[in-house]
Amino acid sequence: MSNIIDNKRVTTEDDDLQYVVLCQKGDTEAFTELVERHQKKMLNIAYRMLGDYDEACDVVQEAFLAAYKSIKKFKAEAKFFTWLYRIVVNFTKNRLKQRQSLTRHESASMDESADGQNGCAACLSAASTGNPAELLEQRERAAHVQKCITALDVEYREVLVMRDIQGFSYEEIRDILQIPDGTVKSRLSRARNALKDCLIKVIGDL
Amino acid sequence: MKNCKDIENSLPLYSEGLLSEAEKKAVEEHLAECADCSKALADLKKAAAITQELSEVEPPPWFREKIMARVREEAEKKSFAQKWFYPPRIKIPVQVMATIVIAVLAVYIYRSGDEQMKAVLPGALQPVMEAKQEPMPAVIPKAKEAAPAPVVEKKAAIIGVAKKDQISEEVSSGGSTPKTGMQKNKLAGASDKSLTLKSNFAAEKEEKKYTDLPEKQEAPQRYPARQESIRERGVEDSSLSGAAKKSKLFKAAAPVAPRSMAASVNAQLQAGISVYVADINSAVFEVEKILTKHEARKVTKQLIDGKAILQAELPAKNLKDVLSQLRSLGRVEEKNMPADGGERDINVVIEILNN
Repeated sequence: MSNIIDNKRVTTEDDDLQYVVLCQKGDTEAFTELVERHQKKMLNIAYRMLGDYDEACDVVQEAFLAAYKSIKKFKAEAKFFTWLYRIVVNFTKNRLKQRQSLTRHESASMDESADGQNGCAACLSAASTGNPAELLEQRERAAHVQKCITALDVEYREVLVMRDIQGFSYEEIRDILQIPDGTVKSRLSRARNALKDCLIKVIGDL
Repeated sequence: MKNCKDIENSLPLYSEGLLSEAEKKAVEEHLAECADCSKALADLKKAAAITQELSEVEPPPWFREKIMARVREEAEKKSFAQKWFYPPRIKIPVQVMATIVIAVLAVYIYRSGDEQMKAVLPGALQPVMEAKQEPMPAVIPKAKEAAPAPVVEKKAAIIGVAKKDQISEEVSSGGSTPKTGMQKNKLAGASDKSLTLKSNFAAEKEEKKYTDLPEKQEAPQRYPARQESIRERGVEDSSLSGAAKKSKLFKAAAPVAPRSMAASVNAQLQAGISVYVADINSAVFEVEKILTKHEARKVTKQLIDGKAILQAELPAKNLKDVLSQLRSLGRVEEKNMPADGGERDINVVIEILNN
């Protein structure tokens, strides 16, 4: 698969650091810039993991707040976004655990979620061409994909989301999830196979 | 030749070039012969394409502002706590002040507890208890006062202060005693007197104080006198506020103690004499002269209830002479006169009263 898109990641660690240092010194407003830079990515990680847009928004807000509270503990040797995304992944997984204890059916929370925000570029383009059938099809497809992603076991899900959807490098995934390289690859392999199988079941022939 | 199961796990990584050369070769070899796995690989590619269609969702409007609002709230909370508890410059003084407040409170509570104790217990007990901090039966306050000199110092100070209130009444009722020229002597006398007692016990440990009671009982006359002397001392102390005098008192007392111990052990004979005079003050002066002339030791003077009491230890052989000289001052009444004491000393108590 050569479709890893690196330009998805825009911010560099160096840029982040100056704002982090300001925050550590007590400049609350400097945190605004950090939120601005990372909110979308964090939201997408959470959304893809949870499959629910509103819940993802909640989780990301909590994650940012937690990051702010412990910003003084951040040490400059590490990369800020690694540290930040680790927080959101952990919060997401906690939320998943809570959810699982409430309901066994993950698909129950899996409706078309909030109003068209199911992240479908094809849907958007279909919408702009004004072709309702195509739009519907695209929307459905996106929903199916998300359903299949959500159906994955959490540890497979997270590597798939980070690698195939968010485009993190293996090194970054290793740092954020804090698992060894070999584990990342084996989990990813299983995740992709599982997703493929699920999609075939749900969509039919690909 | 690998089977499909083995290849299955390698296929998803094949396109990405993540396999080792050997693994890659094995996959290619298998694919060449396995239609299923070839299809699987194709499906994997399509799945990846579908996944790629997923684009990123956008944050809702004001998402950042919502987050920052909570962050600012948190910053408010933090700054308050940090201001007061984190910076050492402020934290340490706060802690120090807190410690001082607690210490002061503790002392205050302890003292007010003591105050209540003082109100409840008889006056005699308290100084003793305060000074020694031992449980003591009410019967033997004097025993305690006979304790070693340093303890007595404390007691005297406490007696002087604590008994002020209790004694002030006594002072006003019985306090016609002149307090000027004779004060020092009185103090010394009082200390001597109490020292005789003290000396009895000085050699013994504090625990044994109670056993000294019998000895005391041998000198019943001394007892009330001592009581008075102590009261006097208390009175004088309070009126003088003489911390300096007190320390002088006991400094003088301390060296005397061992000597008087030896003497007092022997001084078991007692004589009581009352002398009725017109002028007590001058009579006291004369009596003192007489006593000194007759080798009297440990002369103590007290003024109580409008009379003067002198005590001394007098060689028995001189008692007769002293008596005859006393008669020249005024009417003399002999209260208890011992049988001839021979070589020993007699503890003489001379009361000088107005006609």
